[in-house]
Amino acid sequence: MRRRTLLIRAVMNAMVVRVSKEVAMPFRFANPIRALSSASRTAAVRRVSSSLLLLGAVLTTVSLHAQQTSTPVSSTDQHTIQMLLQRIDRLEARVAQLEEQRQAPLQPQVVKQEVATLTPPPDHITATPPMAAPSEHPAHGPAMPSPVAQQGADSEQHVEPDVSNPEPERMDMSKTLLRMRGFGDVSFNGADQKGSTTSFSLGQLNLFVTSDISEKFKFLGEIVFESGPDNFYEVPAGHKNEFAVDVERYLLQYSYNDYFNLAVGRYHTAIGFYNTAYHHSTWFQTTTGRPLLFQFEDTGGILPIHNVGVSASGRIPSGSLGLHYVAEIGNGRASRSPLEDEPVQNEVDENNHKAFNLALFARPEAIHGLQFGFSGYHDLLTPLAQPPIGETILAAHGVYMMPNFEWLNEVVLVRHSPQDSSHVFNTTGFYTQISKRWGSYRPYFRYQYINAPNHEPIFPDVGLRAGPSVGLRYDAAESVALKFQYDYNQMRNQPGANALTLQLGFTF
Amino acid sequence: MLRRPPSLIIVLVLLLLGDGSAQKTVRASADVQNSVATDEGIAIVVNQENTVENLSMKDLRSIFLGERSHWGNGRRITLVMMEPGQLERKAILRDIYRMNEADFSRHFLQGLFTGEVFVSPKTLASPVGVRKFIFNVPGAIGYVRASDVDSTIKVVRIDGRLPDDKDYELRMQPHTGTK
Repeated sequence: MRRRTLLIRAVMNAMVVRVSKEVAMPFRFANPIRALSSASRTAAVRRVSSSLLLLGAVLTTVSLHAQQTSTPVSSTDQHTIQMLLQRIDRLEARVAQLEEQRQAPLQPQVVKQEVATLTPPPDHITATPPMAAPSEHPAHGPAMPSPVAQQGADSEQHVEPDVSNPEPERMDMSKTLLRMRGFGDVSFNGADQKGSTTSFSLGQLNLFVTSDISEKFKFLGEIVFESGPDNFYEVPAGHKNEFAVDVERYLLQYSYNDYFNLAVGRYHTAIGFYNTAYHHSTWFQTTTGRPLLFQFEDTGGILPIHNVGVSASGRIPSGSLGLHYVAEIGNGRASRSPLEDEPVQNEVDENNHKAFNLALFARPEAIHGLQFGFSGYHDLLTPLAQPPIGETILAAHGVYMMPNFEWLNEVVLVRHSPQDSSHVFNTTGFYTQISKRWGSYRPYFRYQYINAPNHEPIFPDVGLRAGPSVGLRYDAAESVALKFQYDYNQMRNQPGANALTLQLGFTF
Repeated sequence: MLRRPPSLIIVLVLLLLGDGSAQKTVRASADVQNSVATDEGIAIVVNQENTVENLSMKDLRSIFLGERSHWGNGRRITLVMMEPGQLERKAILRDIYRMNEADFSRHFLQGLFTGEVFVSPKTLASPVGVRKFIFNVPGAIGYVRASDVDSTIKVVRIDGRLPDDKDYELRMQPHTGTK
């Protein structure tokens, strides 16, 4: 008999635990993902009701069984049953409360202040401790991961109830505001160019950092660790195989509206398309690297890829034409004099003349993915022991980019005009790149061309460089891309060079 | 011809590409409980204070792509997405983004990287979460099934139509209307 009583008690306890969980779950605000919708709340009520009926049946059975056996119930069991009955009363009250809430129409509260006072909606159980301020103001809310990392991490926890915040721009020092994403690549490459060896190469390790400082302000930075010496127009700087750190972008952005955004710091100059569409990550790029035309300054590039200054950008009211503008003023690029100096003038400009750049481009609504535009850049270079040289860079582009197909075309003209001479040195360059994706595979082709005059005063060592590249990108996973590329590079007064590269690019 | 043919590179490529099993794209396809797809409309919802009543499909696409980041009154747009695997999200990716999950992630990652997208979307797990968020954030815009709409949020017309209208474009199942 004792064993039977214990068995009944075990069953009853299990039922009570189940009923307790069923009822308590919707109110567990600490895990609001489980907060019930109207439908699921109804289901919960039904489950609770069923459980109570079952529990009642068990209790009735216990009672009848006790009467039939005429065995006196111990005081402990009586106490347990009494507790269970009390608990049932409480649960019944909770069920009634739930049903009442389900039947009552939701009465919206009126938000009196736009941002300052935030309250949960009426169907929201408010037995929660106060948390930080609105999610729209990331300075108050939790750090927001990038989309990939964010999925699953972001949840209703972003909804912070019952908070009155009279200072919408107040910074919450208790939370980190930094979001970080990394990019990297490792390559295995070989070429038949004189002096080259077949090598494994570590590419740039890029830490991309953003922070929503407030609703209008945001920080964006790229901290890049890269190995190998810099190569400023064939003049190596630094030591082979040594890692160095570069802050490639360093921007404070202010977003007033869609028509006016301001950024101050170090940015990628809006010359053409590629330079602002792709930064220091090979994973984003279809190919293993940037076109020759848009090589970075420290790897022999001819354009002022980076600039330190102020940039304004936004849409231009233009209806379906989708016009945009970018206007920039900055230090511009150093004049390569002396050659080993850092080309990007991060701290000191070599003259008082600032570099100006204006870009206009259109994204017509009628053809999604199409963008075409042009840009004009002007600066004054003051190399040592030479007269100042005016630098004008004109660029035009037409690109069509869709997830499964891309076709990029850009042409650039660089004009250097020494002020003591009427002679103008024109360097022209272009590239075209086309690719199509089939599943995880994306074959691509690129042809590129740069032609600098032999006596070009700023980069006499560039000369003619042209040739095709063909390759295959294979997305092994959403965040990992394997690329295999063949390049042929024709150079003036030199034999052509073949190169093969196998590259693994990734983001993390 | 190559002076030193890097045959090792070619061998590595063949080995890596030969693994067909690796072709499967990793995707967070959470098998949620939304097992029954219906022809129910998906409502585009905003905060009750938002004065916007109607959006064209082009404007909506522009907002969801992050190309537009502010409402007319200057308030920043905060986009709310449901978690991957939710049927509502699949319908939005199909009808508005015309992308799969991988392309969607890449789009916003690249947008943030270039600076063109000011803020990435919030991801919420349930319609209740979406309602709560939009109720609390004046600049928020998101989506829920029409049956999940309540009076705490405001439904925006798309091309002048509401989810119950015949030619409404955003539905759980691909739209087969006349438009």
